Amino acid sequence: MRSFSYECPSTLKEAFRLLSAPDEAARPLAGGTDLIIRLRDGSIRADTVVDVKRIPDLRPRIEVEGEHMTIGATTVMTDVAASDLVRHHFLALAEAALVVGSVQIRNRATLAGNVCNASPAADTATSLLAFGAVVVLAGNDGTRRLSLDDFFVRSGMTTMRPGELLTSIEIPLPRSGTGSVHLRRTRRRGHDLAAVTMSCVIDGDGATRLAYGSVGPRPVVFADDSGTLADPTASDEDRSAVLSGMLAAASPSPTSMRAAPDYRLAMLNLLGRRAVTIALERTSRT
Amino acid sequence: MTDHASSVSGGTSRRTISLTVNGRARSLDVAAHHTLLEVVRDDLGLTGAKECCLVGECGACTLIVDGRTVDSCLMLAMEADGAEVTTIEGLATDGHLTPLQKAFLDHGGVQCGYCIPGQVLSAHALLSNHPHPSVAEIEEGIAGNLCRCGCYRQIVDAIAATAGAGEG
Amino acid sequence: MSHINDGDGIGGSPNRGGGRERVTGAQDYVADLGMPDMLHAHLVTLDCARARILSIDTTEAVRQPGVHAVLTAADLPDPMPRFGPQFEDRPVIAIGEVRYHGEPVAIVAAETRDAAEAAARLVRVEYEELPAVHTIEGALDPAAPLVQDPELRPGDRLAGTNVLREHRIGWGDVDAASADLVVEHTYDFPMVTQFAIEPHAFMAAPDGDGIAIWSSIQHPYWLQRVVAKVLNLPLAKVRVYAPDPGGAFGGKQHAKYEPLLAFLALATGRPVRLVLSLEESFQAVRRASSSIRVRTGFQDDGTIAFQDIAADYLIGAYADIADRVVGKGTYPGCGPYRVPAARILARSVLSHTTPSTAFRGFGAPQINWAVESNLDEGAIQLGIDRLDLRLRNLARRGEAFIPFDTPADGDWDQSVRRAADMIGWGTPMPEGRGRGIAVGIKSGPTTGLSHATVRLLVDGSAVVSAGTSDMGQGARTIFAQIVAEELGVPIKWIAVHMGDTATVPYDQQTSASRSTVLMGNAILNACRDVASKLAAMAARLNALEVAEVETGRGYVRLPDGRELPMFDVMRSGLGPLGGEVVGFGEARKEADPSHPLGGSAAFFEFNCTAIEAEVDRATGDVTVIRHVTVSDVGKALNPLQVTMQDEGAAIMGLGHTFMEHFIHDETGRIRNLGAIDYRIPTSMDVPLSLESDIIENGDGPGPYGAKGMSEGALLCVAAAVAGAVREATGAVIRDLPLSPERVWRALQEVDATATDAEGSGS
Repeated sequence: MRSFSYECPSTLKEAFRLLSAPDEAARPLAGGTDLIIRLRDGSIRADTVVDVKRIPDLRPRIEVEGEHMTIGATTVMTDVAASDLVRHHFLALAEAALVVGSVQIRNRATLAGNVCNASPAADTATSLLAFGAVVVLAGNDGTRRLSLDDFFVRSGMTTMRPGELLTSIEIPLPRSGTGSVHLRRTRRRGHDLAAVTMSCVIDGDGATRLAYGSVGPRPVVFADDSGTLADPTASDEDRSAVLSGMLAAASPSPTSMRAAPDYRLAMLNLLGRRAVTIALERTSRT
Repeated sequence: MTDHASSVSGGTSRRTISLTVNGRARSLDVAAHHTLLEVVRDDLGLTGAKECCLVGECGACTLIVDGRTVDSCLMLAMEADGAEVTTIEGLATDGHLTPLQKAFLDHGGVQCGYCIPGQVLSAHALLSNHPHPSVAEIEEGIAGNLCRCGCYRQIVDAIAATAGAGEG
Repeated sequence: MSHINDGDGIGGSPNRGGGRERVTGAQDYVADLGMPDMLHAHLVTLDCARARILSIDTTEAVRQPGVHAVLTAADLPDPMPRFGPQFEDRPVIAIGEVRYHGEPVAIVAAETRDAAEAAARLVRVEYEELPAVHTIEGALDPAAPLVQDPELRPGDRLAGTNVLREHRIGWGDVDAASADLVVEHTYDFPMVTQFAIEPHAFMAAPDGDGIAIWSSIQHPYWLQRVVAKVLNLPLAKVRVYAPDPGGAFGGKQHAKYEPLLAFLALATGRPVRLVLSLEESFQAVRRASSSIRVRTGFQDDGTIAFQDIAADYLIGAYADIADRVVGKGTYPGCGPYRVPAARILARSVLSHTTPSTAFRGFGAPQINWAVESNLDEGAIQLGIDRLDLRLRNLARRGEAFIPFDTPADGDWDQSVRRAADMIGWGTPMPEGRGRGIAVGIKSGPTTGLSHATVRLLVDGSAVVSAGTSDMGQGARTIFAQIVAEELGVPIKWIAVHMGDTATVPYDQQTSASRSTVLMGNAILNACRDVASKLAAMAARLNALEVAEVETGRGYVRLPDGRELPMFDVMRSGLGPLGGEVVGFGEARKEADPSHPLGGSAAFFEFNCTAIEAEVDRATGDVTVIRHVTVSDVGKALNPLQVTMQDEGAAIMGLGHTFMEHFIHDETGRIRNLGAIDYRIPTSMDVPLSLESDIIENGDGPGPYGAKGMSEGALLCVAAAVAGAVREATGAVIRDLPLSPERVWRALQEVDATATDAEGSGS
């Protein structure tokens, strides 16, 4: 690995200063499970790596604050997956966090890092999108909140500004009776990058939010507020039509070596149907 | 900035870190871009942790840091400042194998052995956090440790037997 | 009376030799060894499959602090030394042209890994990328660029093609054979890599007026010859240390970068170590991919009338041992069956890819996949049960199923029937499931030479010197068990020394599942040499003729019936000066120049695998519900280790069956270079139930009737799985791996055909 300097600021202000170096010469380090791979293979060059794990504002935490849950920027996947609070309110997010890499990876990888990498295949991204998560971004110019949908641009690119840090993720608490699920397709059962990711959230009134990834430049989310998808009395034709409409944004890469586009699209459709069914079952159960 | 002195020499940024390795306090001058794996192997001579994939897939470099397993190839040594690190060399005491290590041998979990330090540490951490795992939980718990010799069934048996015996 | 500690001898399963070191992290692999003033090496490679090297400028790299040398072809002897186990075609470093993605063009030696890596980035290589061939079709195209310089192949009629060699085996008259049914299909096997968890590692150091080499290698004595020849040194001046490899699977049989390291060590006068990355290991070794057409003639009752096989194996840019893999792997290609007429044409086809080499199964898994799958096709067309068809044709003990080779050396039907019983062949299954069964056979070693010494020391402990490499198969344990059994020494008192050509006597190689048989016999003979010396001692001590004294396992028997423990005899016999009793043993398997393979098979590895699988028709996911593997091992010297080998081989077989394959881009670069996109089975990818069993008839040529084993359980996994998938779904798949996507695609075709049939039929 090429050499770089390491900084470990203890305040946000110090971090902002370090990270405002031009040309992305300074890179934030949280879990490092992606950054270190890319520093080693040379796809990222950095003069300075800024370890944000000792900044109190970014400490690991999973807390309910009023109408939403806040997850701190350095909270790792293991803790997201194991949290009773997350499992109670956001089961799909816990399921997604549990399939990110191996135990060793989940012990280091952070939820915020997974979001900031903006990989189209990021498992937690779809569940967060489906739950309507908001990212809190802070920088020298202050703090702003962005819906995650407005955060993702395309693979590896977000609307985060130079010098900004994602300090926490806020997820509105779902209404009681909400059911959710996260599904994915991989090449093996052990940890793997997903060829399709799919999260579904259905609330007690039958409003459905479906988010999916790995089938286009970024994960996307669509809502069915008509209630048709979640309506067991609706005809198969009607429900299929709604689902097809929601999945129409998929445009899988023709050059991926993980799966061909037609397979991805077929699996997307299948996972969409399976996800609605499971989320619906979970709805009635709660 | 932390209160450690840092220096740049020959284009390499260095700093002194303090950590506990296998119960012993260590103070080390490390390069910023060196991983915990490199420092443990090259600076401390603890070569039980192995280098293989360097992308967090194989688990040959698994170490326990503050009670949790990590792929030490994806953790900078400086991130371990202040941490408590357990390597495979830290398990057996006074030459006595732990029940888990013994079980790996008794159940035939060891062929070439290259993945074994990582496997044992993953199993050790699993049993520490979860004393009575199901077979599925054991399989999930060691899925981040590839064994090309294919000793998975024997390794799972060894872990299950250790858990059954109530000893981590 | 028993002179053997319970569980230490033959048939026991003592803890693995070297196991304690492996569970405590104390086992030193090559990358764990360092020397005080050691330099670190780094390879310089090009990011393309094939290129003409125009110039290499090392000026900037050499100038870096800590850099001691940068070697390119220009720094090596002219003509460039070449080496290779079959053909001496591989240059020590690329000269003029790079022939595969990752072939080194320069090597750097520096004080630290960082410095070596940084300097490697500063080596400026000017090159012109050239068109490369990386598929069988591409390589066989008459317009394809030639991989090997025809000048390297003087007098070879194929020199103007990319076919390195053709192997023709056959008997009977295939063209004249009549059959009620002829089934013909082509089956493809993917390009897979060994993926030993220990990446290849090498170290070299000047050693007096010679050189010392450390390598994670299976054949240290072969490597010694290669290095001696390249450096023009006597064998005695080349010392090869072979620390136990961290997995090898065939990929560490032959020299790779050791000659280059040797030159680097001599150029710098310092020890130099090169530890490959996993990616570089992927670029160094792989299994040959293949496309194999099988035309099988059947009689109505399922009897095989003939086999007509054309097998193309895609090997790499240099031959390594790949052509031998093709020849030996396809030789028993018709399987363990009575085949009246056979014709096998196997070709090794060069390409601009990683040189393929030995990999568990040595060419047999590829042809097994094709032939066993084609038998299934025939059985189904004939309406004959797939198990019955195999049993009907299986060669019986003593039958010369390959007319000019070792006759069938086992009661092979026992393995097949056992596997069928275990899987419940013919019993009902839940909806959506299917079963498959297949058999595999592999020729054991065709030649062999192993030497060993066993030294019984004055305190009753013993030192074994044996040149086998223990790469996970557990040779250390087996060798110690033989000594425990023969000399009555407790296993904890036996040290097994391997991996040092200067102190351990010659062994030909660690391959072809030979070591239990060949080295095992050498050790057995060494023990008997010790025993005969003890018999002479006992005779001397008791004023007897030597012929009056007998020896047994751990004891010496006098004519009066007294059985003296060997230890007691030795203590008395050595007298006050003490010392030791040294035994020497040899085992040979002579070559036979008239044989197509240069020698008949020492034994056959035989396995039957039965699979029960469930298929998710919507996703193409295959779940192996049960995986049964039964091997004929002659005698299990250590039953636990036999289980470990068989089940490990089974899981490795599931890798190429379900998920493994290199993917190249259109220019011939490996796209999935590394562990993220080259997938192997994890602990979560094992069958829901994996059951292994063995057949023991004590009918092998090794100690106590053992046969070689550890490759068999991999051979026929793919065909058994595909058979189960077919029974579960009707989908016929003739290309591996059976990824969910490929299974799904096949199911789409099945459904489309069914829809067409409904539409047009009624």
